[in-house]
Amino acid sequence: MLRQAAISAVLMCATIAASARTRPHYGGALRIEVHGDAWAPDGLARRLVLDGLTKLNDFGAAEPALALQWSQENHDQRWNFQLRPGVRFQDGTPLTADAVVASLTALCPNGVSDGFQCPWNGVYAAGPTTVIITTAKPYPDLPELLAQTQFAVSRKDPSGVLLGSGPFRVSGFTNGALMLTAYADCWQGRPFLDSVQIFQHRSPRDQWLDLSVGRADIVQVPPELLRQAQQQHMNVLVSRPVDLVALALPAQGVFADAAMRQSAALAVDRAALYNVIFQKQGEVDASLLPQSVSGYSFLFVTDRDLNRARTFRRGAFPTAVLLGTESGGATMHLAGERLALNLHEVGFNVRMASTGEPAAIMLRRVHLEETDPRAALDEMLAAFKLDVTVSGANSRSIWQAEDSALQSNTVVPLLWLPRAWALGERVRDIRLSPDGEPLLADVSMEGAK
Amino acid sequence: MCVLYNPPQLMILKARLLVVAIALASLLPSAQAVSWDQPAAALARQIASLSGPGPVQLVLNNRSALPATEVPQIRQLLEQDLRSFGIVPGSGDSTTLVRVTLSENLRGGLWIAEVKEGTETRVTMLPVKLDASSAAPGAPTLTLRQTTIITESDPVLDAQVFSSTGEQRLLVLEPQRVMVYVRTATPTTPPSPWKEEQVLTIPFLAPLSRDVRGRIAAAQDHLFDAYLPGVLCRGSNNWSAITLTCSGSDDPWPITATQKAFYDSARDYFMGVVVPGFGMQLAPFYEAADIPRVNGSATLLNNVNGSAVLVQSNITIPVNGADNWGSDFAAVHSACGSGTQLIVSGSGSAAAGDSLRAYEISGREALPVSAPLQVPGVVTAIWPASSEDNATVVIHKAASDEYEVWSVAASCN
Repeated sequence: MLRQAAISAVLMCATIAASARTRPHYGGALRIEVHGDAWAPDGLARRLVLDGLTKLNDFGAAEPALALQWSQENHDQRWNFQLRPGVRFQDGTPLTADAVVASLTALCPNGVSDGFQCPWNGVYAAGPTTVIITTAKPYPDLPELLAQTQFAVSRKDPSGVLLGSGPFRVSGFTNGALMLTAYADCWQGRPFLDSVQIFQHRSPRDQWLDLSVGRADIVQVPPELLRQAQQQHMNVLVSRPVDLVALALPAQGVFADAAMRQSAALAVDRAALYNVIFQKQGEVDASLLPQSVSGYSFLFVTDRDLNRARTFRRGAFPTAVLLGTESGGATMHLAGERLALNLHEVGFNVRMASTGEPAAIMLRRVHLEETDPRAALDEMLAAFKLDVTVSGANSRSIWQAEDSALQSNTVVPLLWLPRAWALGERVRDIRLSPDGEPLLADVSMEGAK
Repeated sequence: MCVLYNPPQLMILKARLLVVAIALASLLPSAQAVSWDQPAAALARQIASLSGPGPVQLVLNNRSALPATEVPQIRQLLEQDLRSFGIVPGSGDSTTLVRVTLSENLRGGLWIAEVKEGTETRVTMLPVKLDASSAAPGAPTLTLRQTTIITESDPVLDAQVFSSTGEQRLLVLEPQRVMVYVRTATPTTPPSPWKEEQVLTIPFLAPLSRDVRGRIAAAQDHLFDAYLPGVLCRGSNNWSAITLTCSGSDDPWPITATQKAFYDSARDYFMGVVVPGFGMQLAPFYEAADIPRVNGSATLLNNVNGSAVLVQSNITIPVNGADNWGSDFAAVHSACGSGTQLIVSGSGSAAAGDSLRAYEISGREALPVSAPLQVPGVVTAIWPASSEDNATVVIHKAASDEYEVWSVAASCN
């Protein structure tokens, strides 16, 4: 596993730095194909069209984006954000504090959004360029958390088209492709490309075919196909591990008993998932943070222990439990079946939920955007709705908070997976964001003038 | 038009600064060995606070990018330091196990000690700085010599050193500001380190281009001009400090000693319109340099389409041998060869790292006259320096996200 991680890291470093050294050329249209939804909370379209109040640098620290500066009061529970002057939405409307408040409030009307917990409990405008955000508990990493794509600032024009201040604006939806056009007055400068076409919901097979015949410039490579892509000598960019595969065991029904959850956590066979399902990509982990972010993930034991698992089950024969999977398609379904077998071995009666059946336990795939250890843990705690407070910024405090969060076994981390992209010959100056998404605003095309 | 006047600073400039050369040293960065004494002692102290004195079993694992050759040294230091706290490593029959893992995360090293006594495990962690070493090779016929002027965390577009009696000022042009550094410099003593003196803010006038470029150049009737896309800033000395006055401007940028060119403020190149003109339409280009010829001089242009051309007597001549050039170059003068060399950045896929190389133009041929000088990052700008015998080179080091400013000159072997 370490060897694989090392190879991945080397590959990532080599490819991320592989920008041509001549200056980028302006012009050209880029076609990119993705498996998922471009408008998902961490989706590609949101990243290209919208901006956040802050953005993350390569080391995970918050840097100014739509907010130029910020300060905290009341022990990190009240934050003042000063907006950058001169920023306009793509329809020419100036960015104001009211617009930011409306955007964030719409996202989390009562501090809670679908699927995740928002860090704030109040957002107010204090003048045209000042936004005040209050939180129920101290959030010293709030500037980092606000850099997440899901918190990007947007508004809708009268026809319902989403507008932002990012490098591209939505120009239509044609032949199954979301059409984005360069926004010349972007506060970060006009992107080099004239346009980007995003083809969504494309199967890996179709994506690879399109890349091979020149119908696509960038396509996704699922982790389990990474080895195959490399064998085919595809030009592949690989991120560090950024997606957590985890088993969510809500404390209800069969798993209301903590001993049952402990039993299930000891029964999972991470090595089989890693070796067979995900073709030895990523890293086996029992931590909410990947080793590259925390540095301590090996402290969480990943070994399977069937004897202890049976001991915790105490001879009980629980009723049938349905296991569901969240995103990832067929591969996640296979992983779910494998886990159901693991749980069967210690006496749990688990089967995969059919479409439409309500699942009691879920195999989830959760993306991590943050790379600052504390902010990253806060992001994962929010994603799994774990109510634990990180009391300090040092590694030991973060580990203690994570250890406390995982004690209940309502979440059982299994694997961390990288993201990968295969590139056509005309793409240059591309690099990945720290969370593994292509930074298309800096991409240029070979031969463009 | 937006104008900004910077408030006076404390430092007093007694006379108008004269532009002189940066003193070049032939020093290359030397490899720095990392000392583990301090972190080993700190970790031993933390372990002692968890375990107390007595015999322990010590296990050391390396899960970081540290070379395996470093590990025995660290172990030895750690054992020494533990003994100083009364902890005796190496007792195989001890019930206390101390497992030390040399780990790392995105911020650097993280050393973790797990102290296991019976069923209880206590953990302590220590962040450790990991320094990288660097070195650069030499070259055969003519050698490129570099001196690191300064390293910045923000993007640097250009930098120039201005000297007056007994002191030097370094002006570093960034997209949103000009940093002013000062140091003492006398002929008999080595210069002191640069000390930040002023920060001159460039007001927001319009969005800058994504591949933003900028140039800082000495001026005739005031201290300097700073050129940015769509913005011209004028730096003056008003007896108490340097002041900066900026306004939106499409004025042409200086490209050679005698010519200026109009810059496309929405892109990253010169549009092909120069003043005084050549009487012909030029293609868009990135850089220009004067090249001495037998009968006068020619202007060398590095075109956006990747070709290099010489413009002489209103004729455009393609230059051969420039296929491997990057987008940036600057001419320097030396006592070697023809006396004028071009310092050129590399091109193509940068998997092997960027480089600088000296060329001479002979006829219509570009001839390499030095070995490539590898750079620890990507060259983002090359501009002529205020003295003719060196060029200012800006390098972006992706690993640390820092910008190094070099002064580069060609010297004879």
